Amino acid sequence: MSTVLDQIEQQIAKLSSKAVKKNTGNIRTVADGVAKVDGLSDVMYNEMVQFPGGAIGIALNLEEDEVGCIVLGDVSMLKEGDEVQTTGKLLSVPVGRALLGRALDALGNPVDGKGPLAATETYPVEKIAPGIIVRKSVSQPLFTGIMAIDSMIPIGRGQRELIIGDRGTGKTAICIDTIINQAKINKVGLASGDPKFRPVYSIYVAIGQKNSNIVRTMSALEAAGALEFTIIVAAPAADNPANQYIAPFSGAAMGEWFMENGMDALIVYDDLSKHAVAYRQISLILKRPSGREAYPGDVFYLHSRLLERAARLDGKGSLTALPIIETQAGDVAAYIPTNVISITDGQIFLETDLFNQGIRPAVSVGLSVSRVGSAAQIKATKQVGGKLKGELAQFRELAAFAQFGSDLDAKTKAQLERGARIVELFKQPAFSPVPIELQVAILFAMQKNFFDAIDAKQVVAAAAAIKDFFTTRKDALLTEIRTKAALDKDLEAKLQAACDEWKATFTA
Amino acid sequence: MASGKKQIQLLARQFFKLSLEEGVLSAARVGGVLEYIARHRPANTVAVLKAYQRLIAAEFARGQAVVEHAGAVNEALLATIAAAMTRKYRRPISAVAQPNPSLLAGLRVRVGDDTYESSVAGQLAQLAAAV
Repeated sequence: MSTVLDQIEQQIAKLSSKAVKKNTGNIRTVADGVAKVDGLSDVMYNEMVQFPGGAIGIALNLEEDEVGCIVLGDVSMLKEGDEVQTTGKLLSVPVGRALLGRALDALGNPVDGKGPLAATETYPVEKIAPGIIVRKSVSQPLFTGIMAIDSMIPIGRGQRELIIGDRGTGKTAICIDTIINQAKINKVGLASGDPKFRPVYSIYVAIGQKNSNIVRTMSALEAAGALEFTIIVAAPAADNPANQYIAPFSGAAMGEWFMENGMDALIVYDDLSKHAVAYRQISLILKRPSGREAYPGDVFYLHSRLLERAARLDGKGSLTALPIIETQAGDVAAYIPTNVISITDGQIFLETDLFNQGIRPAVSVGLSVSRVGSAAQIKATKQVGGKLKGELAQFRELAAFAQFGSDLDAKTKAQLERGARIVELFKQPAFSPVPIELQVAILFAMQKNFFDAIDAKQVVAAAAAIKDFFTTRKDALLTEIRTKAALDKDLEAKLQAACDEWKATFTA
Repeated sequence: MASGKKQIQLLARQFFKLSLEEGVLSAARVGGVLEYIARHRPANTVAVLKAYQRLIAAEFARGQAVVEHAGAVNEALLATIAAAMTRKYRRPISAVAQPNPSLLAGLRVRVGDDTYESSVAGQLAQLAAAV
């Protein structure tokens, strides 16, 4: 109670008898989260405006005789004639470590029932992306824990890697796996006391999703012990389009705090297709000219300015972005997918056919690419998995020919056999990321032909067995791989011996 | 023809420009414009007139300081406010009193879109928002 009294006293002390100048206007119309306001002659572009009842808005359209504002919050209380005030401020959201483990709305208000936030700092939602001079090239890996991705399409800290595919192909699962993997790495790294260890904090932005899906994601993160390193920003389908439009920018502001304070962060935008739809809705109500697929002309800029905020800063931290795009019937040539493909530093394309064949994660090796390439891989992964992408691509091509049933030479048969085993090896259940050292061990076994004698259908069981073997009996060897991050002759000999030992005990 | 919203606005703005005499709203010119509209009846006359009215009202508000007050205000105070606002905005501004008991005490002065809040109700609202 005394703190409240202190607060009031401080506020009274601040209040002076001087008149306070406000620039005001009146609501002319309100529709679907957009208000047209008369007056507000001093308002600036993107300025936060105050509506009655605590709702806030952002001035997006400055016209000669009216101002178009998006309303964030409850619009049901607003009516024609209500007074609107300028604030002279840009929309800001709370930032900092206090947000970790919390679920917030697009404005940074907690929605998880865990009480008020203890955040002391705020960052503007809209911010110009870091320029050229302050940036550093992407060279540090960010492990997803998914073997197919870490070995063939590596992601680096500060990179923007698009996850694209039809609905129900496991796009979100890949991102959740990545978040869980970061949490696992963080726990090991922080427990080791290594002063050079840099944890990765995650931000998951849910845009236009069902509340039930958001709850499921939160539960998965909580069950995996990853929620304590994660911030959830939720703008569900029931939220007004203005909140859905602003949510990824709020998430980016929260991620930037980590980046600018020398830490590393990962942000998942799930998904930008729905974000574009929300923006289209706002733009159409604001009567902005519409272009292809009725999207406004600046929909490219909308996503480019958002994704440009992901960066690796020289002498500071990094912000890695994993935007998600949902395609319709695998059409990657649609407007929004091509936009985001061209903005990002690569894409992981998930195929419905592969998913239905039981190949999960359903990563299409041919269409997926990481433009950062092996710069974001540790040497050990390069040593054991450098040729995998080529081998798999060859396998897909040969598999297509083999369908015709013609006689195959021994070499082709061997390539097909090997390819089939690699495909099986890369199958991985959702929410169970594999540590990079274990990936190296498994890929080493593959490279040294330890799976060749095993029937292709038994490879999944064999992979599970080798994982068990290494985690339960070769922990010291895994730690050595993790710390050295490269395979020298000694480590290779140890790995060979371990694989021999496993092979002797494994019975399919 | 003024069919689209933009065209209505454009026409209203043209009428508004015709209503100014050396940058100041002229009652005679407004009368002339109204007479012209009544005679020629452009398409969407009601919409054009509404848009015109809004422009005139906004201009009128820019030249008038509405002094809302809870207690009593005298002519001298109004004259002081009018003079201060005229100086500040560099255009002739008159002051009119408008009683508003909800302010509790103090004044609120409105000139166009600008509001100068110096009332107890305003300070209490500010306090409530801060706490």
